[in-house]
Order: sequence, then structure tokens, then C-alpha cells
Amino acid sequence: MMSDTPEMVKKVFAIFVVGILIIGFFMVFTQMPKGNEVNVNNTVSRFYVMKDVDHATQMLDKGTYFNKDMVPLRNDVPYTPITFGKSSNLEDGAANVVTSIVVDYRGFDTLGEVTVLFLAASGVMLVLHGEKRKIPKKKIAPSEIMYVGTRIAFAVIFLFGIYVFIHGHLTPGGGFPGGAIIASGILGLFLGRQGYSPNKAGLTVFESLSGMAYVIIGIIGLVGEKSFLANFLPTGTIGDLFSAGFIALIYIAIGMKVGSELSAVTNAMIVDTEED
Amino acid sequence: MVDFLQNWVYLTGAMALVGIGLYIVLTNTNIFRIIVGLNIIDSGTNLFIVTIAWHPKSVMPIYTATNNLVVNGHVISADPLPQSLVLTAIVIGLGTTALALAIAVKIYQKYGTLDVRKIKEGDR
Repeated sequence: MMSDTPEMVKKVFAIFVVGILIIGFFMVFTQMPKGNEVNVNNTVSRFYVMKDVDHATQMLDKGTYFNKDMVPLRNDVPYTPITFGKSSNLEDGAANVVTSIVVDYRGFDTLGEVTVLFLAASGVMLVLHGEKRKIPKKKIAPSEIMYVGTRIAFAVIFLFGIYVFIHGHLTPGGGFPGGAIIASGILGLFLGRQGYSPNKAGLTVFESLSGMAYVIIGIIGLVGEKSFLANFLPTGTIGDLFSAGFIALIYIAIGMKVGSELSAVTNAMIVDTEED
Repeated sequence: MVDFLQNWVYLTGAMALVGIGLYIVLTNTNIFRIIVGLNIIDSGTNLFIVTIAWHPKSVMPIYTATNNLVVNGHVISADPLPQSLVLTAIVIGLGTTALALAIAVKIYQKYGTLDVRKIKEGDR
């Protein structure tokens, strides 16, 4: 059957399928606005940028927000200008608008995302665990320079990862990149030392505690404020390190969780290849 | 020409990434290469989603001392919502890739090969 088909025919068929897909893409392009016509002012994101979602929702409740002709959004919502370093007590104090969406407005999504990452990590450990793991012997032992260098680099990388997830509400980055940076430091330790293995119990404890911290922060919001994962801290002045309420707390929890999870995945992935 | 590049280069790139990834998935029989192809499709999709929210004159959606997102009541930043969705998608892509690689390791340990056809023959 398929195995009798010559290789050439298969490749031509594959190109044919890919071509159909590309034609489909082009059909979408004809319907899309050109790049310089994309206008954020007509989309919901406008209110995320202006940090005025609550007001927009109130207008929606009064029924004055949408009309029957599907004119998407009104542009005459009153707007108070935001100045960096001066405006305070905003609806959401994060200078990074993407962070304010990820952690604050759609924090429940991010909880689900963390859950997916947790399931993937536990799946990896479930699949790769169980056999007797021999720590792989490197053919060339790492030199003294490698050993010392990776340990110094680990300290710097660890600090940088912590910096990235603590400043998640001010600069690009956040909990997920910060955690990945920390895990890359641990990968360096694997390269630099013969037979290195991280403290597995410590990783598990860190992971569980930070995951619990996220849910507990959400429940505090449920008890103290109106909804699950609601901001219960003052938002402060936009641009300060101690601003944006609970976003920094959640990103610290996410950073620790992602860092320990990816380190555990790296540990599980280093499998003996049984080469002499 | 510059106008064309500004408007379409990222969209064309995203489309090309999806096409290349799909071609790799369809023509290779090695499981590892199929996973790599799926990853390329993943990147193409993420690039597509970010690109449709971007226009050449937009600024980054981060308030800084010199970066004003709202001028005269009009938002001039790129759309932050698709960017945050892509942040989610990247992490989930990482998780699924790790799981797929772990399963590939197990398949290699059981069958001694990563070739899909040889695995099928060995099954019979």
C-alpha cells in the first residue's frame, strides 16, 4: 500500500497539501485589514490599555454599550490620561499592559496555564521515572574551568531570573520567562559537573508551595474582594516597584513554580544512553 | 516595496513557517523530526497571532517615561490581548513538546527505533 508508493509521489502530495493550506491563508489575507489599518481603538483591548475596564463593563450593563447594528465599541467613553510615575490608584497599576491582562484581568486563564504546565511536567516524570537511572557518564570529564564557571554563572543567572519575574509588571518578562531562565542555570550545572543531581525533594516542595500560594492568593481575593483572583492590595503609583497590587506576588509564585518544574523536567530528561 | 514589507512580511513569514512545519510533518517518518515540525507550526501560529495585532506605526504596550500609549484619546500601541494569549500558547507548547519527547524516549527504548514504519512492522 503506502510503502509501495515512490518517495517522489509522496513529496509531491505533501507539497500539494501544503499549497492548499497556503491558498487558504491567502483567502484570509484578502479579508484582513492591512497592517497600517489595524486599529486598537475599535477593539476591547482599548480598555485594557486605558485601564478602564470596570467603567466599560458598567456601560455594558446599562445596555448603552452595544447597539443592534453591531457597531463594535463606543469611542466616547470618558478617559482620564495616564502619566508614567504620577497616576496612582488606577484600576490596575501595572505599567506592562500585557502583564496586567495575563495576571489581573485574565488571571483565571493563567491559573489554567500553570495547571497545564504542571500536568505536562508530571506526565514527563511519570513516563521517564521508574527505570533504574544511571547518571550518564560523560566521555570527557568537565574541566576545572567548566566546573567553576558554571557555578559562578549559575549565581548570576539565578539573580537575573529573580529580577525578571519580580519586575514582571514593569518590564517585558514575567514569571514564565524568569522561571525558564532559572531552569537554564540549573541546566548549566548539569553540564559542568560529573553526576550532578538536584535535590528532588526540595524541587517538589518548592513547586507545591508556589502552586498553593497562587490558589491561596486567589482565595484571599474571593474572601476579601468580590471575586476569585481579585486584586486585594492597593495599586500604588504606576511605574513603582511596589505597585500593581498582587501582580508581583503572583509572578513570584509563578516564577518559582515554573523554575522548579522545568528543572525537574530537565532532570528527568537526562537519561542514560548506555554508551560505553 | 517598503510598504509591502511593512504590511506583509511577518504574515508571509508566519504562513511560510506553518507551511514548512506541515511539510516536515507530512514527509518525515522519524518521530523526533515530526515533533520538530509540530514545533515549527507552533511558532508560525504564534507569529501569526502576534502579527495581526500589530501595525507598523504602533508602539510597545508598556507604559514608560517616554512611551505614551494614548495620544489625544487614541490608543497607538500594539494590541496587548493577542500578545498575552500567545504568552499562554508558548508555555503550553513547551509543555506538550516536553511530554512528546518523553514519550519518544520510551518508544525508542521499547522498539529500538524512532521510525514510524519500522515501529508498525515490529508491532505485527
